[in-house]
Amino acid sequence: MGLLKLTFHHIRRSPFQSAIAFMTVFICFFILNFFLLINRGLSSVLNHFETKPEITIFLKDGLDQAKVESIQKELASFPEVKEIRYISKEKALSLYKDMNKDNPLLTEMVTASILPASFEVSAFNPKVLEDISQSFSTKKDIVDEIIYQKDVIESLLSWTKVIRQSGLVLIGVSIFIVFVMIFTLIGMKINNRKDEIKISRLLGASKFYVKRPFLLEGIIYGFFGSLFGFLLSFLIIYNLRPVINGFFQPIVFVSELSLFEALLLAIEVLVGIVIGLSASWMGARRYIKW
Amino acid sequence: MEIVFDKVTKNYGPINVLNNLDLKIEAGDFVFVTGPSGSGKSTLIKLILNQIRPSSGDVLINGVAINHLRTKSEIDKIRRKIGVVFQDYQLINDLTIEENIALSLDIVNYPQNKILSRIDEVIKLVKLQHRHFLFPSQLSGGELQRACLARALSIEPEVILADEPTGNLDAANAWNLLKIFKDINKKLKTTIIMTTHNPDFIESLDKKVIRLGKIEHGTT
Repeated sequence: MGLLKLTFHHIRRSPFQSAIAFMTVFICFFILNFFLLINRGLSSVLNHFETKPEITIFLKDGLDQAKVESIQKELASFPEVKEIRYISKEKALSLYKDMNKDNPLLTEMVTASILPASFEVSAFNPKVLEDISQSFSTKKDIVDEIIYQKDVIESLLSWTKVIRQSGLVLIGVSIFIVFVMIFTLIGMKINNRKDEIKISRLLGASKFYVKRPFLLEGIIYGFFGSLFGFLLSFLIIYNLRPVINGFFQPIVFVSELSLFEALLLAIEVLVGIVIGLSASWMGARRYIKW
Repeated sequence: MEIVFDKVTKNYGPINVLNNLDLKIEAGDFVFVTGPSGSGKSTLIKLILNQIRPSSGDVLINGVAINHLRTKSEIDKIRRKIGVVFQDYQLINDLTIEENIALSLDIVNYPQNKILSRIDEVIKLVKLQHRHFLFPSQLSGGELQRACLARALSIEPEVILADEPTGNLDAANAWNLLKIFKDINKKLKTTIIMTTHNPDFIESLDKKVIRLGKIEHGTT
């Protein structure tokens, strides 16, 4: 009687216990995958804000070309500056008109002369922006106003941190529950089948031989639970992709399908197998005493 | 397979069951072990299977003192050469007879491609055709005992230990089973050690007899 056949025989003989083990792994990986995809979306949100002009320095009117260029050079001298964009008065008017194209009343009275020129600066490291802000806030002769989205970033960072930490705790607790559940269920199954194990041992079966079906059972729960947990959460998120991305527009919260998803599936299934195997191995080691 | 008991004593707490037992069973022997209840018949079987260890003395199989074996794998290896027929059958209830035999063959690493043909052979030998696909609960006592014998035989053992195999059978079934054991011993030269209460069996066959009992301890 083959190992696989014997293992499925064990699974069929206690269907409710098997279903509970499968459902526990399934729910754990459903939550895990949901969290991972949300985390990826949050990273996109952060990335969006981190790569957008984080600081806007509005210049006083009447600065000559040489002065503007010297300001640009000074900005460029800061480390980890990603991009410096000069918005002239004309460009500012064009942007303003574009933003308010549906409301002609707001645009007809506005001319380039009343809009300030500005520099939009983005950086690889948001801390640099704080240095720039401090440095230019003292230059009252050339700077009219500085708009720095520090609070938005900080708030976003702290929320992301909380979500990531909560997610990690949730995943840790879920994995622990899965481990304990499989360990206990394998123990119950071993107890239910102790006569069979004793008979097999009397017939000359090694301890590993009698453990094998239980180990494979753990692997099966891990494999199928993680696979279906991934697939369901994946299907839900990718079916809701237009709605989610519409809500976060212009940020792409749920990205296009790529190799990442295949890799994630492979890793999750591997983790599922490792959890199932280690829990059943511990269970078999603990409960098979004959 | 040669089995030797060298001054074997077995105590269960304060109760002495075997006392300085010396015996030698040679390959191809058919041996009856008899004696009243509690005289140590099953203990003798368990000692050979290394389920229990003697309080003193040695149990030697092919010259190796099995009670001194340290690793479980060495014990498993010896058990794989022994077929056992239990009084209470010890078949796995949720496997069919065929699956029970297949499991036994799998344990001894019997070639996978020969398992089905081997099952057919032993099923025919014990006359259980048309029953092998049934579960133990669907068979009569006699059929169960023959199924148990088929499982023991399937692994081509060097020795068969039969612990009161006829204990739960009616006279007709008991004699049929004894005849099968006799044929196996004659044709396959398999050593058979059978415990029994039945004096008629012992008288009917001209075989070695080990008599155990409170008075006769150590007299074999």
